[in-house]
Amino acid sequence: MEKTFWNIYKTFFKVGTLLLGGGYVILPLLQSELVEKKNWVNHDELCEYYALGQSVPGIIAANMSIFVGYKLLRQKGAFAAATGIITPAFLAIVLIAKILQELIKYQFIKSIFWGVGVGVVILVILAVKEMWKKSIVDKFSFAIFISAFILSAFLKVSPAIIIIASAIAGIIYKLRLDKQKGDNQC
Amino acid sequence: MLIYLHLCFEFFRIGLFSFGGGYATLPFLYHIADTYHWYTPQQLSDMIAVSSITPGPVGVNVATFAGFSTAGILGALIATTSVILPSYVLVIIISKLLEKFKSNKKVQAAIYGLKPAGCGLLSAVALNIFSDNVKSLFGVGLFLILLIMSFQQKRDPLFYLGISAVVGLVAGYFHMV
Repeated sequence: MEKTFWNIYKTFFKVGTLLLGGGYVILPLLQSELVEKKNWVNHDELCEYYALGQSVPGIIAANMSIFVGYKLLRQKGAFAAATGIITPAFLAIVLIAKILQELIKYQFIKSIFWGVGVGVVILVILAVKEMWKKSIVDKFSFAIFISAFILSAFLKVSPAIIIIASAIAGIIYKLRLDKQKGDNQC
Repeated sequence: MLIYLHLCFEFFRIGLFSFGGGYATLPFLYHIADTYHWYTPQQLSDMIAVSSITPGPVGVNVATFAGFSTAGILGALIATTSVILPSYVLVIIISKLLEKFKSNKKVQAAIYGLKPAGCGLLSAVALNIFSDNVKSLFGVGLFLILLIMSFQQKRDPLFYLGISAVVGLVAGYFHMV
């Protein structure tokens, strides 16, 4: 399949439609669509975009799509991939949001929501677990984790402030470590 | 008019400062509920549940939903575009200077610091959603069973949603919830 704007849009629209229950499942979907079916990128490139997608702020599935889109067709490809991955999500929510007030009147819908509400807690805990594996690597990162948790859960500090402060703390800590290493060598 | 600008600003900020994927946007959305009362925390918990079972990345779904609840369809459009915009610009810049970005020490140090913070923020969300959604003894029971299942082996997220939806349906039928 040729790498045109319209083909890229369609491909990501399809991936966006199949994406359920959290962005972490985008990797196998892109693997099947882009590597196996279309041969647009190879597996290693995809894994690199997955890792990079997590070091950029925002929604990982969207970040990864924009990376791949850019690689396929520069600016045009990035735009096609971004809009493609968003469209199904947008349409689904706008449709459901309109009828949700009607739906929620039915007892069996309420019961399903009650159950899904409990299931979602598990999904968030699993997301915490995934992030934990990639982020808590030493005492310093554990200290940041605990501080961020307390500041957010109990003191209701703005998440943006916590994120900026921890990035600055990371830079100061790492640079001091490097400096100490440098001093020891002398 | 002012509400649209405000939405744009808030969701742009979410897109710029949330690290760790769609669920990492949730602490910001709870903070908005507490600060501006565009929607209640309970409504947000419902939105998250709906977003988990609709197509698309959860982060996009929940942004669209929150925008829609605040200011209708135009609100949904503005929230969705604004939450993606920072990623879009950053990814294109990074694609252009890929090699430099990966090896830059300051960038690496900043990421090293903010990743555990993102994890801490999401843990606070887990606590929030738990207290909103798990209010009965029966709910705690279902939660514990699912949690134990998640420790046993890695499963598709849909597995947990499917089971909990069915349990909810059956429990509702017997008037247990």
